[in-house]
Amino acid sequence: MKSMEVIKTNILIIGSGAAGLVASVYAGQAGADVFVIDKGAVGKSGSTVGAVQIASLGAWSQPEDSVENYLNDIKESGRGLSDPELMNILANDLSTRLEDLIDWGLKLDLDENKEVAVFPTAGHSVPRSVSARKGKMGLAIVQTLIRKVNSMDNVRKWSDVITLELVKTSGHICGAIVFDQKTNTPYLIHSNAVILATGGIGQLYPITSNPAQTTGDGFSLGLAAGASLIDMEQVQFYPVSLVTPHSIAGLCISFYHYSKLYNSRGERFMTAYEPEFLENTTRDKLAIAIATEIATGRGTSRGGVYLDASGELDKVKKEFPHEFTLCTDRGIDLAKDRAEIGPAAHFIMGGIQADGDGATTVPGLYVAGETAGGLHGGNRLGNNALSECIVFGARAGLAATAVEGITSAPPSNSPQSKMTDLFLKKIQSPTNGHIRPHELKEKLQGILGENVGVIRTNESLGKALQQLKEVEVELEQVKLSSTGVYSREILDFIEAGHMVRTAQAIVGAAIQRKESRGAHFTTDYPQMSSETYHTIVKLDDETMEFGTSPVKGGDR
Amino acid sequence: MEKLSVKIERANSEVVDLFEVDYTKEMTVLEALEEIYRHHDPSLAYRFSCRTGLCATCMMIINGKPGLSCMKLAEPSTNGFLTLAPLPKGSTIKDLVKEL
Ligand SMILES: Cc1cc2nc3c(=O)[nH]c(=O)nc-3n(C[C@H](O)[C@H](O)[C@H](O)COP(=O)(O)OP(=O)(O)OC[C@H]3O[C@@H](n4cnc5c(N)ncnc54)[C@H](O)[C@@H]3O)c2cc1C
Ligand code: FES
Repeated sequence: MKSMEVIKTNILIIGSGAAGLVASVYAGQAGADVFVIDKGAVGKSGSTVGAVQIASLGAWSQPEDSVENYLNDIKESGRGLSDPELMNILANDLSTRLEDLIDWGLKLDLDENKEVAVFPTAGHSVPRSVSARKGKMGLAIVQTLIRKVNSMDNVRKWSDVITLELVKTSGHICGAIVFDQKTNTPYLIHSNAVILATGGIGQLYPITSNPAQTTGDGFSLGLAAGASLIDMEQVQFYPVSLVTPHSIAGLCISFYHYSKLYNSRGERFMTAYEPEFLENTTRDKLAIAIATEIATGRGTSRGGVYLDASGELDKVKKEFPHEFTLCTDRGIDLAKDRAEIGPAAHFIMGGIQADGDGATTVPGLYVAGETAGGLHGGNRLGNNALSECIVFGARAGLAATAVEGITSAPPSNSPQSKMTDLFLKKIQSPTNGHIRPHELKEKLQGILGENVGVIRTNESLGKALQQLKEVEVELEQVKLSSTGVYSREILDFIEAGHMVRTAQAIVGAAIQRKESRGAHFTTDYPQMSSETYHTIVKLDDETMEFGTSPVKGGDR
Repeated sequence: MEKLSVKIERANSEVVDLFEVDYTKEMTVLEALEEIYRHHDPSLAYRFSCRTGLCATCMMIINGKPGLSCMKLAEPSTNGFLTLAPLPKGSTIKDLVKEL
């Protein structure tokens, strides 16, 4: 293969959601040359765009709120798996990071008294969520950051380039091999440090709230580079997501705390599961309750339950105008209709293991945002994903600036992993095969949806692992019927490769956890064990290794 | 099965492609494009991300007017066709995909 063109930069940031863009700005301000790349359009392709509110601490906080209070809520929610160091950093840094964003032009939504509007969120003991652009907080943050990035000459953006693998020299990360979809050209980006900010895994499941790009690439890239994944079995299913119509299936209904849920027998079943908090409980408990109703035959024919929001419609309209309008436009009149809802893959609490600066165990490799693991433990509180992105994006950006890179030995130009090798071979002889890549993606989604959803069993997990092995083999039998520029087939193929690896990590981690904790619920071990431990996944010479490790700060 | 006739004016192409797509009730334009990619033409290029009207990357000309393909229902105009084209402004990478 002829050698790849090399592009040089100080810091390569992969992914341009809130985490990647925040990292870009702080690294850029510290004087580093930054390249921020995205496989979709920069700033428009991640989960960040869909986020409604952010948990906050600031001048607007309720008098009874405090760093300690916030910390307690996160700790409680994490079911013993949240890393104390990460929780502390989040609670302590949050107000400063929000102030920076406000300095850069972010305008928080105000209430009728022209004060910052502060909203309650399930699982938070005090109302502390704020929004911007009328309930489009993620979009508002991204737009603020893009403006900032555009004003910096040392930060460059590059859309439509997908990462194939990270590159190392003498054990130190020194860049990545990427593929430019606009020209169908692979490049080697040579950098001192790489920050992975590639978001989550929603697309590994058939029904998800997540955008098209959330195929779990970062976990696969990190694993292949030698990083460890922590608690990957902890997949959050947004409990209340539309089941129908198909075009917006997976849409999160954020106003479930203003709604009542009924099973097909007309019973308000949460009275049995959570007599005190009813629907206003944490996501893990609500998802398990709904999934149990469905699994025991008290669901709708489409596999959902009913949501009635007619009691608090004014609040719904005011606080969640986008969701309200979408429902109305697609024929769901919330004033009189009950919406059909069920759990949809939403967020992964697990991820690449890192310290408070986003540094992984691989020198030069940093991680931020949803791709990082350890903070949320067994359950992420609502509106705590964006706060994670802005706090740890900043820290990773600054820490990566301080890395002294490998300048003397430029990385070898030949691909280092089996997957990149297979990809480049396929591009050369695309029609040698018979399966279309999107078929493989759908097959994988079916496997996880059926076997690795809200309710798991030893048998279902074993089956998933077996079936994923078949998909891995089938990757070699893929046929690319279209290999021109901007080929969706090529993109689907690369994504399918990352998806298989990440899916295997999730299933393997789930098999390691022999108890039910947080979002991981198995009928074979329905109780929480008295011992608290993390599950760990590593990749050694293309072989995945699974294990456990003790939690920091002792059991709880 | 009911069919929907979709015409696509692809960038840099003299011919207008015509597809007869399986039509389902309440189908969006984006879902029609997904049908075409899966069952008719694997080379078709179009952008999308959120599917819920927030990212705006799926914007194109739909029956003569700019619109978000994930939000517009797939409906033929008076001529009997659903006609799609890339936005006229700015450079087009391929088919319906604009440089963003
Ligand atoms: C519908 C929805 C609503 C939500 N609401 C809230 C909320 O109200 N409050 C809250 O706090 N959280 C919310 N969340 C969660 C939160 O939005 C996400 O966890 C968070 O925004 C993730 O940000 P990120 O920067 O880590 O990743 P993302 O924003 O997902 O960005 C990742 C980027 O990486 C790119 N990428 C991925 N792989 C590659 C690759 N191989 N090469 C190059 N680029 C790549 C993607 O294209 C994408 O642009 C919501 C999520 C969804 C889906
Ligand atoms: S896909 Fe995001 S607006 Fe249509």
